[in-house]
Amino acid sequence: MNHHNISCNKTSFRYNLIKQGKHLVSITLLGLLVACDNFVEVELPTSQLTSPTVFENYTTATAAMVDIYAQIRNNGVLAGTVTGVSNQMGNYTDELTFYGSSFMGTINFYNNTLIPSNTDIATLWNNSYSQIYATNAVIEGATNSTGLSVAEKNQLLGEAYFTRALVHFYLLNLFGDIPYITTTDYRVNSIVSRMSSTQVYANIKTDLLLSSSMLSDDYITPERVRPNKATVKALLARVYLYTGDWNAAVNEASDIISNTGLYVWDTNLDNIFLKESTTTIWQLMPQSAGRNTEEGSTFIFNQGPPPVVALNDNLIAAFEVGDERKNHWTKAVTDGVNTWYHAYKYKQFTNTGTSQEYSIIFRLAEQYLIRAEALAQLGDLLGAKTDLNKIRNTAGLPDTAALTQQDIITAIIQERRVEFFTELGHRFFDLKRTNNLDAALSGVKTGWNTTDRLLPLPESELLMNPNLNPQNPGY
Amino acid sequence: MKIFSFKGYRQSVFCSFFCITAINLLSSVAWGQQAITVQGKIYDNLSSLPGVNVTVKGTTVQTISNYDGSYTIKTSTKDTLVFSMMGYAKREIAIQGRNTINVSMSEEATSLQEVKINAGYYSVKEKERTGSIARMTSKDIEKQPVTNVLATMQGQMAGVSVTQSTGVSGGGFDIQIRGQNSLRANGNAPLYVIDGVPYSSEAIGGGITATVMPALTSPLNNLNPGDIESLEVLKDADATAIYGSRGANGVVLITTKKGKKGKTTFSTSINSGLGKVTRFMDMMKTPQYLQMRAEAYVNDGITSYPPDAYDINGTWDQNRYTDWQKTLLGGTNEITNIQAALSGGNAQTQFLVSGNFGKETTVFPGEFGYKKGNLHTNLNHESDNKKFRINFTAGYTIQDNNQPSTDLTPEAWSIAPNAPALYDENGNLNWENGTFNNPLRNLEGKSLANTKDLVANMLISYKLLQNLELKSSFGYTDLHHTESSTFPSTIYNPAYGLGSEYSVLFANNTSRNSWIIEPQLHWNKEFGKARVEALVGSTFQQQNNVQLVQQASGFMSNSLIYNLAAASNISVFTDEATIYKYQAFFGRVNLNWDKRYIVNITGRRDGSSRFGPGKQFANFGAIGAAWIFSNEAFISENLSFLSFGKLRASYGTTGNDQIGNYQFLNTYSTSGNNYQGTIGLHPTRLYNPDFGWEMNKKFEAALETGFFNDCITLTSAWYNNRSSNQLVGIPLPGTTGFPSMQANLDAAVQNRGWEFTLRTVNFQKENFRWTTSLNFTTTKNKLLSFPSLETSTYANQLVIGQPLNIKKVYHFTGIDPQTGIYQFEDVNNDGIITATEDKKTVKDLNPEFYGGLQNQLKYKQWQLDFLFQFVKQENYNTAATLALPGTMSNQSTIVGNHWQSPGDSAPYQQYSSGANGAAVDAFYKYISSDAVITDASFIRLKNIALSYEVPKKWMKNVQCKVSLQGQNVLTFTSYKGADPEFTALGFLPPLRIITSGIQLSF
Repeated sequence: MNHHNISCNKTSFRYNLIKQGKHLVSITLLGLLVACDNFVEVELPTSQLTSPTVFENYTTATAAMVDIYAQIRNNGVLAGTVTGVSNQMGNYTDELTFYGSSFMGTINFYNNTLIPSNTDIATLWNNSYSQIYATNAVIEGATNSTGLSVAEKNQLLGEAYFTRALVHFYLLNLFGDIPYITTTDYRVNSIVSRMSSTQVYANIKTDLLLSSSMLSDDYITPERVRPNKATVKALLARVYLYTGDWNAAVNEASDIISNTGLYVWDTNLDNIFLKESTTTIWQLMPQSAGRNTEEGSTFIFNQGPPPVVALNDNLIAAFEVGDERKNHWTKAVTDGVNTWYHAYKYKQFTNTGTSQEYSIIFRLAEQYLIRAEALAQLGDLLGAKTDLNKIRNTAGLPDTAALTQQDIITAIIQERRVEFFTELGHRFFDLKRTNNLDAALSGVKTGWNTTDRLLPLPESELLMNPNLNPQNPGY
Repeated sequence: MKIFSFKGYRQSVFCSFFCITAINLLSSVAWGQQAITVQGKIYDNLSSLPGVNVTVKGTTVQTISNYDGSYTIKTSTKDTLVFSMMGYAKREIAIQGRNTINVSMSEEATSLQEVKINAGYYSVKEKERTGSIARMTSKDIEKQPVTNVLATMQGQMAGVSVTQSTGVSGGGFDIQIRGQNSLRANGNAPLYVIDGVPYSSEAIGGGITATVMPALTSPLNNLNPGDIESLEVLKDADATAIYGSRGANGVVLITTKKGKKGKTTFSTSINSGLGKVTRFMDMMKTPQYLQMRAEAYVNDGITSYPPDAYDINGTWDQNRYTDWQKTLLGGTNEITNIQAALSGGNAQTQFLVSGNFGKETTVFPGEFGYKKGNLHTNLNHESDNKKFRINFTAGYTIQDNNQPSTDLTPEAWSIAPNAPALYDENGNLNWENGTFNNPLRNLEGKSLANTKDLVANMLISYKLLQNLELKSSFGYTDLHHTESSTFPSTIYNPAYGLGSEYSVLFANNTSRNSWIIEPQLHWNKEFGKARVEALVGSTFQQQNNVQLVQQASGFMSNSLIYNLAAASNISVFTDEATIYKYQAFFGRVNLNWDKRYIVNITGRRDGSSRFGPGKQFANFGAIGAAWIFSNEAFISENLSFLSFGKLRASYGTTGNDQIGNYQFLNTYSTSGNNYQGTIGLHPTRLYNPDFGWEMNKKFEAALETGFFNDCITLTSAWYNNRSSNQLVGIPLPGTTGFPSMQANLDAAVQNRGWEFTLRTVNFQKENFRWTTSLNFTTTKNKLLSFPSLETSTYANQLVIGQPLNIKKVYHFTGIDPQTGIYQFEDVNNDGIITATEDKKTVKDLNPEFYGGLQNQLKYKQWQLDFLFQFVKQENYNTAATLALPGTMSNQSTIVGNHWQSPGDSAPYQQYSSGANGAAVDAFYKYISSDAVITDASFIRLKNIALSYEVPKKWMKNVQCKVSLQGQNVLTFTSYKGADPEFTALGFLPPLRIITSGIQLSF
């Protein structure tokens, strides 16, 4: 457009130009016009790679995958921080007592006064779906890649399908019916509706079976920090347990328990949460060498009153006399008048020369208790008791006295309570799937309501995508 | 607003000088005369007048009056001397053989219209401008004891709304010129141009390093108000279209001070003063507070106080009282500012060197402060034949800010009034056995910022022909900013048992440099009654930005917290080098027929690297026209009281490219997360390569009038701007994995309003002069269209026909007299109150109107200026800031008027310790209801300045002025809360500042 302007002006004063400085003006005009459109094209910034490039190379593609584990470790449901489920659902149920600031969202978990605008709720939800987006990006990137070998693709896809299923599993058990996201396309994802729990579980199983077929039995790197086939089976076993598919649960758990080449039972309770533990199936590595777990920093305190949380008196009372887990996995702190207990599974509160503990997501004890419960449901009471006693004996307790099927199942749930306390919301999920939430909590939690079995969907989410309506009951 | 400066506007002086010279050349007649030397002094009403042009009529002989108004000129007995200066009536005095001629000159009211206004690439006479340009000069700025340029603009200009976001030194301001055009909250910044060099106002810090501030650090703090000669704000299409893609939100042109010809003059000024928080909230004292707490537990049916209710369960002294606002925010900010300048030069070459140093302490307890030093230089030269000119300006600023890492304001509002002492008997922080989260822990952490900024530019011009000038400007900016926030382990309650391995440092390093070259050709010619001006030019600009943001933790000692090498963990959050390139062609044609009809056409073709291939270029243009009807014979003959009258209108398009760089790329970025020794890569954004320019169409019509020899001037303007093709990060539900995505939205936003500027000379006599100016803006922002808004992700943020800056909230219907719980309107009558269905009440947070009323009184050597700023608006009140009444958090006393027993009617619900689920739920709904958005209008004595110029005879050869200045001196408001001026709740309110100063020049 301006090219024309310039030439018009040029014509209008050409008469004068002939006399003086014609060449000078011409040079200037040339200077004005010499610019071409590609002046405004820029190179990629130093900190970014185009998405297809990332998946042409196994190293960068792996960096995209492991970043998801780092996100899971730092944020979202599985994080050991105060906003992860270990702390939040511990407060929500009868595992933890909250002493922290009333400005923390956790107080509303503790008081069972959650509302949809609670920012910790939005944190759980948004971080989880951000992690799911990243798994879908890996799945799409690896699938379309021409630079990765079949084995490399299988490794990445196997991990991504597993992770996608894992995060959805937790969302499902916290929020109820949720959308199952399988694409990066925002046009689809921004208008999704909620999916029935049955359908979500079906999708989780599909992803896990796919993943199981792609991952190898061995860990591809040292230290059990990348999921292998047993990790996938561990989640599958849990999914089958939660959905009442007892035979399948027994099969998956047995596959892991029988893999004694990798998973060796350890009767020393102080070894269980070390990073070298032979009962660990999958754990998350800390951010840097010398760091230990977020769980340790969240739960441990050295003097009272507790800065954030302490173990709930009901939990302390739940330990049978002689339970070594109370001695090894909890610790008392006193100010001379009052005594408080904190979780002491992870014993490192701060950094050590080299890291000693990683955040464990799946461990062998759960597989025994899954199999015990599934066998009990199937009527194999002897088999159930054998698995249950394996756990009890390790904790220094005698064999269970339970006789009937129902008593054995109750004993298993009680055992899970003292075995998995402050671990990733097990207590809440166990009470919920066995329909015991009201019975267990309404007496000890004054704010408890039946509708508290589901967390509210974040208010912002319903506002931006009305297809997610209705809100969960009670909110 | 004061639109005009009276004297010393250098370009204008040049211009009038050229005109006079040209006339003289034409009419030059030689007489046989006797040579003499004439001398004398030139005065205005009050004092001697330096810088007056003295010319021998009909010759090129000329001189300029000295600092004390004296002049000497060689001439001949029968000549006539012409005395001229901008802003003063020209005088011609025949010599008639005298050797001494003392002259008194008077300010010329009508001459205000002759002032040349900077319009960016060109300048235009005030009376002949076709665009909407507001102006302030150094005289308006130097009266204000503030360090931020935007602060000086508050209440001064119609159509310009400026809000201070924090009272912490070095904090920022929000500016909006004619309302919010873009749906993007950060897409509404005007373009800043300093002496022709665009100055990026994009934030230079990081959120995690500017922890004490409500917003990221703005580079605009670097500008020194004392260096500014004039500041023009371009508002309508006619004025802004030549800035094309960057003109949508208006343009702020800053012209710095230039060297002046005349004797070498040294001037210096020293100001010092005190600042205090303007307003505090009226908080509960201990008895009322504890009564509230006790009542809350009774209401909740809790008979034994929980172990962590330290305030009431006996752990803390229940007779203690501390006014936490006073203790934590009640300090005095000591302000010192020293400025010195040396300037001078002859007709060919002028120079200016000035320096400035300012220092402020803080209102927080502890040793914190803000320092700013600045050096400014200017050099002008013109060749003997007046064909070649060069103008070089450079400014260098260093800022050093040291603040606590956390603003104490929220805690000053929330801490229980009977909380324990801050220090124990040994002078250490008192944690009261781990029960007291001592607010002074926040002072253990520091938020440091250091900025070094260079802005340099050079303008070279050469007159190829009488009416053809080749110009080029070259600009360079170079900014280095380091910023850090520390959270040493000592900020934590010792009960946590944390050592220095838990200390954390966040560090940000930003470097930004840019260069710009703008070659231009200017041409003008007169054809009989017509005058034509034209210019063409082009722009090449590149801006490079490098940012490194790191977190370090695990220090071996807290003393080494600034040493990254002493940290055992270092995470890099951002390490990014970005490039922004920009290219444009622009032009302007201006036709002026007989000084009555003026048409101005401007256009620009812009390309920006911020858009994807094929979307980089766009065209913008505008036409403006003016009719100076007071120059029509039928008006001037019949309406003699009308000294000036002009009708003008403009229409055109501008754009907006404030979207950040590289947004069109589909990429992965490094996340800074380490897993197994691998740094993670994460998807950068949702991918959309197809977005393009946002278009802003502006229309304005205005009437400018002057009455009674311009003793009263009134400008009334109506504007109607419409932004379409909105380029936004469309907010998305979390299920998409991202909070938003960049895209053009087919929505239109309208900003429409009236602006009035009235200036009156109320009284003018030999020794006394009183002038008043009033600016008044009423504006209406409106979302015109938004296809399928109801199903979009904006459904609950926006309403068609309403402004953008609204809140959709519950409607509060009062308290249930039986339960004592807040109640809300159930809009859809489904029996439950839900956000999606029942947040249907719209509250507009835009100001309804705003403006300023300035008065200036001069009596002999005394001058008094005072400015009242007024804003009519609604905003969040105190209830939105504070926690649930009844919990362990202090409250405003107004909450005392609450429900206590069935049958009560009170504005506030029953107290609860947090155990009453219904009360908690109702409280959270209450703070998202219309009950917490109430009147936040205010009238503020924004500025008052009293000065006295010491008579010359007292101090030989020294000009001396003493002054007393105040900012935010008085605030009249019915607002329930702290200060009604804020952008986000919970930050330090603005300060009331009083300073005294002395200014010397010799």
